[in-house]
Amino acid sequence: MATLQLKPWKTKRWGRIAFLVLTSVLMLVPMYLLVVSAFKSQQDILAHPFSLSPDQLTTQYLKKAATNPDFNIVKGYAVTVLFVVSVNVLSVALAGPVSYVIARRSERRYRMLLLLFVAGTFIPSQVLVIPVVYTLKFLGLMGTIPGFVLFETTLTLPFSIFLYAGYILTIPASLDEAAAVDGAGKHRVFWSIVFPLMKPAVVTMVILNTFSVWNDFVNPQIILGPGSGLYTVTTGVYAAVSQYSTDYTVVFPTLLLAVAPLLVVFVLLQRHVISGLTAGATKG
Amino acid sequence: MRARLTTLSMVGPALVLFVVMLVVPVGLSIYLSLTDWDGYSANPAFIGLKNYVNLTHSAEAIRAGWVTLLIAAVGTVLLSVLGLGFALLVNGASRLNAFFRIVLFYPHVLSALVVGFLWSAVLGTSGVVNGWLTSKGSAVLPFLSDPKWALASLIAVLVWAGFGVNVVLYLAGLQTVPKDLLEAARIDGATKRQTFFNVTLPALAPVVTVNLVLSLVTLLKTYDLVVSLTGGGPAGSTQTAAYLILWDSFHNNALGFGSAQSVVLMVITAGLALTVARLRARADQGASA
Repeated sequence: MATLQLKPWKTKRWGRIAFLVLTSVLMLVPMYLLVVSAFKSQQDILAHPFSLSPDQLTTQYLKKAATNPDFNIVKGYAVTVLFVVSVNVLSVALAGPVSYVIARRSERRYRMLLLLFVAGTFIPSQVLVIPVVYTLKFLGLMGTIPGFVLFETTLTLPFSIFLYAGYILTIPASLDEAAAVDGAGKHRVFWSIVFPLMKPAVVTMVILNTFSVWNDFVNPQIILGPGSGLYTVTTGVYAAVSQYSTDYTVVFPTLLLAVAPLLVVFVLLQRHVISGLTAGATKG
Repeated sequence: MRARLTTLSMVGPALVLFVVMLVVPVGLSIYLSLTDWDGYSANPAFIGLKNYVNLTHSAEAIRAGWVTLLIAAVGTVLLSVLGLGFALLVNGASRLNAFFRIVLFYPHVLSALVVGFLWSAVLGTSGVVNGWLTSKGSAVLPFLSDPKWALASLIAVLVWAGFGVNVVLYLAGLQTVPKDLLEAARIDGATKRQTFFNVTLPALAPVVTVNLVLSLVTLLKTYDLVVSLTGGGPAGSTQTAAYLILWDSFHNNALGFGSAQSVVLMVITAGLALTVARLRARADQGASA
């Protein structure tokens, strides 16, 4: 009897693992091709795409991609990191206090305020970018770093405020009251009592914002424009790759240089990334 | 009075930025959709609903609309089904499961633009797969060069890149399934299938809603991947609404017409998302009861 029960359970277990291994291979093949092809010649890529013979590999194309006159990748990293940091700092500084007010006040107008912000999630940012161009032109910020950072920060507000307000509700209001009795002002109470307790929600948003700013294409392409000479990693990749799309000795090394930093960060932080997203989902 | 000023100083900055960069542009979009603006002229003429009437006659815009809806519908179903299926397969705290989760999720970290370029190098006419098929003496496959294949490839790549997110969200949901109910079902002699449909799925209802709305809203915006994978081709067969809006606005200088399409896309996105959320409301209540 015992063996009869064990057997189907065992085959099922191995079936599950075999299926997952097969799926993993499918998921990883494009990344494998990306990595190995970055070290191969065009002829070798096309004739033996999957092969990996050490004597055929060369770093010559990778070096060429790193010094591409169309796209200075080091500058691309620097510009993108600058945007990621500015948007994150500004987003927390703006969304934190307003979420605190929304969470702690029960009046109807603050609930309407939350609804107004949350409605922003339904607006496709590609649709928004056209009128934003004219708004930025009016403000004299079109094609500038502050203009881009302000718009990108705005895009983070709806979900940040939604997540932060939900999270603050789980922090006992008696804590802020105690601090207020001791004479701390509202700003002080928020930044020194409530904000430190919001760390999990803030970490989640910082991770999500980092990915979305790093990977954004339409907004930097249109707001910064090819004329400004400011390339992010994605708009730079577009400039470097789209005109040579069949020269794989340009395509693969450039793509590898573009994804490598983010993949390294992801592998190092994967536990936080996945649990951060999970926290966001259950709170939402 | 001072308390009011303090509240204002906490709410004000975010609200001002949100209004200037989001509410005003949406209003501007609605206004521009009623004009014939080309992006240059100082005094665009007010033409009422003409852009919207033209929209109903534009074969290109209508096709882009259907393509977008097809991508959103098929994609949402695939993302949700695969997301839940794989979440059930990798649920449980083992090192192997942790590894599988990372592998299923990692494409989401890559930008859609890069994903598109990568897959076009793999699936293109002279790409890796076809190069390999040619070297084996087989005929090439029209992954990106035949309209039907190209649309299917686009959806497949969207699913490849995106279902890891759904897996993670469903995994979060599975943590909320009451253990005692699962135990009770097991003791009552329920089969795995019965337990899934009567205990697990109802408890997951809120996460199902989040997943459906999120996938739908994301897929209706599909743009970057179109640019890098197919460029909207062949023969416009993979042009999505977002693609056509930006094309009309910046390449054809038809900003009024582009804005009208934007307004329609915004209304459809909000309408569909709210409809799904409302239809799911009953299932959600079942979960909390």
